[in-house]
Amino acid sequence: MTQTKARCLILACGNALRSDDGTGLWLAQWAEEKFADSPSICVISRQQWTPELGAEIAQSQCVLFIDCSVDAAPGSIQLLPVHPASGPQTVSTHHSGASELLAIARDLYNSPPRTALQLTIGAGSTELGETFSPAVQAALPQACQLIAATLSGLLQASA
Amino acid sequence: MTQTITIDPVTRLEGHGKITIQLNSQGEVEDAHFHVTQVRGFEKFSEGRPFYEMPSLMARICGICPVSHLIASAKACEAIMSVRIPHTAAQLRRMLNLAQMVQSHALSFFHLSSPDLLLGMESDPVKRNIFGVAEVRPDLGLAGIGLRRFGQHMIELLGNKRIHPGWVVPGGVTEPLTQAKRDEILAMIPEAYANLRAGLTAYKQIAANFKPEIEVFANFPSNYLGLINEDESIEFTDGLLRLIDPKGNIIEDGISASRFSEVIGEAVENYSYTKFVYYKPLGYPAGSYRVGPLPRLNIVKSMGTPQADIELAEFKQISAGPIESSFHYHHARLVEALYGIEKIEQILTDPLILDKHVRATAGVNRLEGAGQIEAPRGTLFHNYKVDENGKITWANLVVATGHNNNAMNKGVLQSAKAYVKDGKFTAGALNRVEAVIRTFDPCLSCSTHAFGQMPLVLSLVNADGQLVDQLIR
Repeated sequence: MTQTKARCLILACGNALRSDDGTGLWLAQWAEEKFADSPSICVISRQQWTPELGAEIAQSQCVLFIDCSVDAAPGSIQLLPVHPASGPQTVSTHHSGASELLAIARDLYNSPPRTALQLTIGAGSTELGETFSPAVQAALPQACQLIAATLSGLLQASA
Repeated sequence: MTQTITIDPVTRLEGHGKITIQLNSQGEVEDAHFHVTQVRGFEKFSEGRPFYEMPSLMARICGICPVSHLIASAKACEAIMSVRIPHTAAQLRRMLNLAQMVQSHALSFFHLSSPDLLLGMESDPVKRNIFGVAEVRPDLGLAGIGLRRFGQHMIELLGNKRIHPGWVVPGGVTEPLTQAKRDEILAMIPEAYANLRAGLTAYKQIAANFKPEIEVFANFPSNYLGLINEDESIEFTDGLLRLIDPKGNIIEDGISASRFSEVIGEAVENYSYTKFVYYKPLGYPAGSYRVGPLPRLNIVKSMGTPQADIELAEFKQISAGPIESSFHYHHARLVEALYGIEKIEQILTDPLILDKHVRATAGVNRLEGAGQIEAPRGTLFHNYKVDENGKITWANLVVATGHNNNAMNKGVLQSAKAYVKDGKFTAGALNRVEAVIRTFDPCLSCSTHAFGQMPLVLSLVNADGQLVDQLIR
């Protein structure tokens, strides 16, 4: 079965019909266009992260998860390391979090990525809509810069 | 004093429902109901839309089996257009439908039901999921994820989208299959066989441990409905419907989509938004029946593929006549998934599969059209009426969960009588009652999807509505 062979995987999540919930998808689209000529980078966007993505992660040396956050202040950007979940996992077959996916890559495929980071943007609104809130809209350029810099660092580290 | 036990929501289903168990003054189970507590209204809000939009609209009913709704809807539209789609388009759709069946059956068996089967009905609910399975049987965890991924990736390759592909349209499909995609699918097939075999072997090894459950998991005589080919082999995308009685005798054969509404009716009960489907000549509820993997295997004489035919022969040894216990849905699901992989492989070697002629075109030639297929969970029927401009004036959908509604309710009552004693319940006992519903793998999304995650609350309520006991997960 075809699997990701890229050194760095961008895994985005969101719903483009739920205003700021679509931020991850928008940033993934930006990254896909920005790094279209780079075979080292693979971009996957999903409305939901499901266990099957564990196989893609296991094939990658580093992973950058991108999502919105309903807990953070609107427009605030966070870039944090993510670690595989430990202990009993309360999972849904419809949706898994970044930690659960890393745990699948580790436990089932015995191949967790060397580095895993998660970039989030605080959501101002997740109501029905196809536009972003002003706070998120204003934060997008900085998020793009951060993604570019992060990928550059991840690729150098994995070279 | 009469008491009521409520299981709300029922977990590990596609969608959300609840179960109430009513006890009499002696603490014995008197009645039980499976409630689908949501409504969506697709039939109503599609009124006024152009008929050719219907497949893509109807696909939004569900993220698990959008392909089923796409194809049933397209077939209803083609009846309105009075067109026959090209051979290659029919084969491509058949393959798409089978890919969805394989991924859906993998989800049902490995992700939703194998935790009960491998970890036990009494095991820690926190671990009763695919990760818990992976802890004790990593090979099966991988097989489940791999098999589902096979079906999903095939859908993505064919339809260009993993969920809600827009490839199926009235008249056929939007673009032909490329050689590169055909070769990629063919390359995935050996791994799909291996993953399926891992599940089937594991199931056969543990099924004998569940004799008590087999006895009371909706184990009663019923009628069975499903699509079948002229040679009496299994069919998912075309063919005609056959209804058999509890002894296997044919009640009615050759039911086409255009005749469906003549013989199939829908009843309403005040405790569920899902309708109760029945065979009209027998009336309601006598005309109730079951659909899905178990009924399909009860109806057919062969699968039409070598490996699945061997498995079917072994499956049919369970009983001389139709197999009654819904526990055997699990086994039937795996036999069907094996058939699906074999049939996909066969279709890919069709010399015309890369043909470029994949769509027929026409306008409105009839003011009503209907389409029927087998979704993973059972027979799916779409029926539309249009005005002369092709705008939808009326729509009706009959989904698998509706066909199975009466049997699911009877099954819940049967298992509740077995597992709830003296007005007391345990988490393990109630998991078994839930597990009866899971054997049918109902897709409540065809009614609606709830927003957010509900906690599981089991409540014991007396006749005055006062809470006397509660169990919260």
